[in-house]
Amino acid sequence: MPEAKDSRSDLLQGTLDLLILRTLAAGSMHGWGISQRIQAVSDSVLVVNQGSLYPALYRLEAEGWIASEWGASENNRRAKFYKLTRSGERQLAREQQQWQRLASAVFRVLETA
Amino acid sequence: MAAPRKLWFRLQSLGRRRRLESELDQELALHLDLEAEKNRSAGMSPDEARRSARISLGGVEQTKEGMRDAWGATTLEALRQDVRYGLRSIRQNPAFAAAVVLTLGLGIGANTAIFSVVNGVLLRPLPYGEPERLVAVRQTLTTPPTPSLGFSEKELIDYRAASRTIEDLVEYHTMSFTLLGGREAQRVQTGVVSPGFFDFLGVRPLLGRTFRADDDTHGAEAVLILSHGYWMRRHGGDPAVVGRVFQMNNRPHTVVGVLPPVPQFPNENDVYMPSSACPFRSSDGTRANRGARLLSVYGRLKPGTTVEQARADVASIATRFSADNPGTYPAGSGFTTTAVKLTDEITLRARPTLLVLLGAVGCVLLIACANVANLMLSRMLRRNRELAMRAALGAGRVRLVRQLLTESTLLALLGGVFGLALAAAGLDLLVAFTARFTTRAGEVGIDGAVLGFTLLASVLTGVLFGALPALTARPDLAEVMKQESTRAGGGYGPRRARGLLVVSQVAFSFMLLIAAGLMLRSFWKLQQVDPGFRPENVLTARVSLNWTKYGEDGERRKFGQELLRRLESEPELRSAALSFNVPLAQSQPFNQRFRIEGRPVERDLPTLDARVVTPRYFDTIGQRVVRGRAFEDGDDEEAPDVAVVNESFARRYFGDEDPIGRRVTGDGETEWITIVGVVGDVRQYGLDREPTAELYQPFAQSPGWGSVLVRTRSEPGAAAALLTRAVHSIDPEQPVDRIRTLEEVRRDSVASPRVTAMLLGVFALVALLITAAGIGGVLALSVSQRTVEIGVRMAMGARRDEVMAMILRQGLGLVLAGLALGVVGAFALSRMLDRLLFGIPPTDPVTYAAVAALLLLVAAAACLLPARRAASVDPLVALRHA
Repeated sequence: MPEAKDSRSDLLQGTLDLLILRTLAAGSMHGWGISQRIQAVSDSVLVVNQGSLYPALYRLEAEGWIASEWGASENNRRAKFYKLTRSGERQLAREQQQWQRLASAVFRVLETA
Repeated sequence: MAAPRKLWFRLQSLGRRRRLESELDQELALHLDLEAEKNRSAGMSPDEARRSARISLGGVEQTKEGMRDAWGATTLEALRQDVRYGLRSIRQNPAFAAAVVLTLGLGIGANTAIFSVVNGVLLRPLPYGEPERLVAVRQTLTTPPTPSLGFSEKELIDYRAASRTIEDLVEYHTMSFTLLGGREAQRVQTGVVSPGFFDFLGVRPLLGRTFRADDDTHGAEAVLILSHGYWMRRHGGDPAVVGRVFQMNNRPHTVVGVLPPVPQFPNENDVYMPSSACPFRSSDGTRANRGARLLSVYGRLKPGTTVEQARADVASIATRFSADNPGTYPAGSGFTTTAVKLTDEITLRARPTLLVLLGAVGCVLLIACANVANLMLSRMLRRNRELAMRAALGAGRVRLVRQLLTESTLLALLGGVFGLALAAAGLDLLVAFTARFTTRAGEVGIDGAVLGFTLLASVLTGVLFGALPALTARPDLAEVMKQESTRAGGGYGPRRARGLLVVSQVAFSFMLLIAAGLMLRSFWKLQQVDPGFRPENVLTARVSLNWTKYGEDGERRKFGQELLRRLESEPELRSAALSFNVPLAQSQPFNQRFRIEGRPVERDLPTLDARVVTPRYFDTIGQRVVRGRAFEDGDDEEAPDVAVVNESFARRYFGDEDPIGRRVTGDGETEWITIVGVVGDVRQYGLDREPTAELYQPFAQSPGWGSVLVRTRSEPGAAAALLTRAVHSIDPEQPVDRIRTLEEVRRDSVASPRVTAMLLGVFALVALLITAAGIGGVLALSVSQRTVEIGVRMAMGARRDEVMAMILRQGLGLVLAGLALGVVGAFALSRMLDRLLFGIPPTDPVTYAAVAALLLLVAAAACLLPARRAASVDPLVALRHA
């Protein structure tokens, strides 16, 4: 496992995977695009460091949840685009469900306890 | 389900490493560009935009390292890299590497050598069929203590009929016969066995066949089987030997088979014959006599039977024997029968020695490890910069530790190769050493198990001596950069670790030295034992007469007396004698029961060890005549029977009475023998064994003999040719062998304690040297680290001898701590040596004191050099560098 070298990136273990999968559900994207998208959607609360991003992408590809192909970027450079596979979609659904269950449980505790 | 796919993906990445790297570079470059572009569009200058992008992205190299880890660099790729780094670092510092490889090579070599013996003798299963079911059966007595009595044929037949737990009982004994039919007459060691003996061991013939039941019937044609070694030695491995006929014991013997090259059990023999072919064994007298016990008996446990059950079974049969035959098994003799596993039987004598040696070499290796760890630690101080740089370039802490471990393991593996070469070189010596304890010596060699052991020892060693420095290494970039001097490194942690290493080295060395010291002192005591004779200038030889040719008393007497006549006419010889055997030549007592005239006949008759000698025997070996007289030429077959007894005999059976003139007779005999003299005690069966009650008879009255002894005027070895010539001038077909000086016989009898003491001594010495180097090295490092402090002290007025004393105190403090631990350890462990020691307790204070003094002396010498260096520190120079 790569070490977390940046304090801003200490997301819960596995959360980064979920964020990437969810982001790619919107369509294929290259690495920088994924990090920008997560940052933008989260109003800059979540900053994905490249030191965590690329190993995570490699890991997800190894799992077979995402696939990659080379294409042209916005500025017409060669870029590697990642997209969700069928098994990636199923994994996303599973992880999303789990995350929501966890989040709502934490929320309930915060509200009532 | 996804596992194989994942593995495949990773393996692919391994194969496409170069492409992945370049793709990653592109991906990261794009990432950086896009980030910079974004910054520019937010209004930054191009330079600033790039800089800010770099900062926000974190280290590119770290990311790459992370990716490499994810790619599977954790295993193969990283290992390759680590090995490369390791080799580079070894090349950069060859002197250090040589010191490590040499130290570890000695340690690993000693371990490999001893392990190869332990493996061949103790660990490998016997090369026979179902070895765990094979047992040796033994009849024993408690008075006189006789661990193995042997069996008579009648007893064997009864055990075969009565035993419910052991099947396939087979017999074995060994004889020496003369074999004719080759170029010259040869003495061949002959195993005489049941026809089923080889089936029992599960040994199949290499050529021809083994024995069949009909080979053993009375009047069957005599057949022989050759051992593999004898076949190779004497017949050059010629397969046509099967079917050849040789003369032996005055009848033709046909070779029917050749054994495969397996170690022979229980002894090495040249040839084998079935029991009916042995003239002695198959004579009517032997077969009818229930007390004629010359056989060893082995058996196979019935399926599902334990050796404990077998033991109870044979013991109960023995009890029945005693009840049925009170004459043969006197009450009070403690007669019983037991069974032991063959594996235990074969390795019994070797086990304690080998385990002690294994422990010793283990200690040596530990000490060597400690030394190398110390070397590594001090080198670590100088390498902190390099390590910090590597950390700065993206190496994780785990990765750094792994690199250091790889380096130490590489060094240890090199040491292992060196050690293996050392072990291989010393193997012949070890095999010869092992052969003194067990017949399994031939199985000692370097095989897969030994190689595996060496590999394991090397890797473990590498991890062991690499782990400590690796764990104390804290490559903190900021710290190292702040220190302007690399010399100042080595905080409290490593320094304490080095101290502990030295303490444990000293402790282990002390324990080893104690073991070696005890063995040496015990060996010395053994050497000091007065054997009761003067071995110098005496030459001995074995002349075992062809049993069929010289079956009659008269023929043997004639041969012997003629030989003596010829020898005594030689001017170079002072005297010559014949006897049954040579003292200390590994023979067995010839125990007999006897009666003393005028004493009531007890059920439990006393025993003596009967020996036969010619008149000048006592003169020849230098055995004292204490009272009465020795034999004279007049004590011949016509004269009244006489005997000479030794002091032990006189003391034990006559106490204060004078034995001279008293008469004794053998159990069941009627002719009285008069005691005419008392001779001094002789250590007959080993310097460590107390003399037994012996009775000597003159050769002329009891003409059995097997050895010739001559006392020479000059160097005894020169008389060998003369001796052989004298025998051959009477009978050219009579072999003469085992020609050794009595001094050699005596030396051989203590060869195994000598070699054990020597090996332990060498190991302990190696350990001591390594330890001394370790103490000196640690102290020297400490002095160089404390140069400034020492300079300050001296500037403040400390005298040189005070500085020297300070350093000596530091070193000797460690040594004394180690010594204290070592004493405790040695007290706890030296009891294991008890069985190997003679004449001293395992806590012998003299040895402890001497070893402690030696260790302190060597340690002090090792401390002196760094202490003098400290005293020669120039305060001006030291302070300028501060």
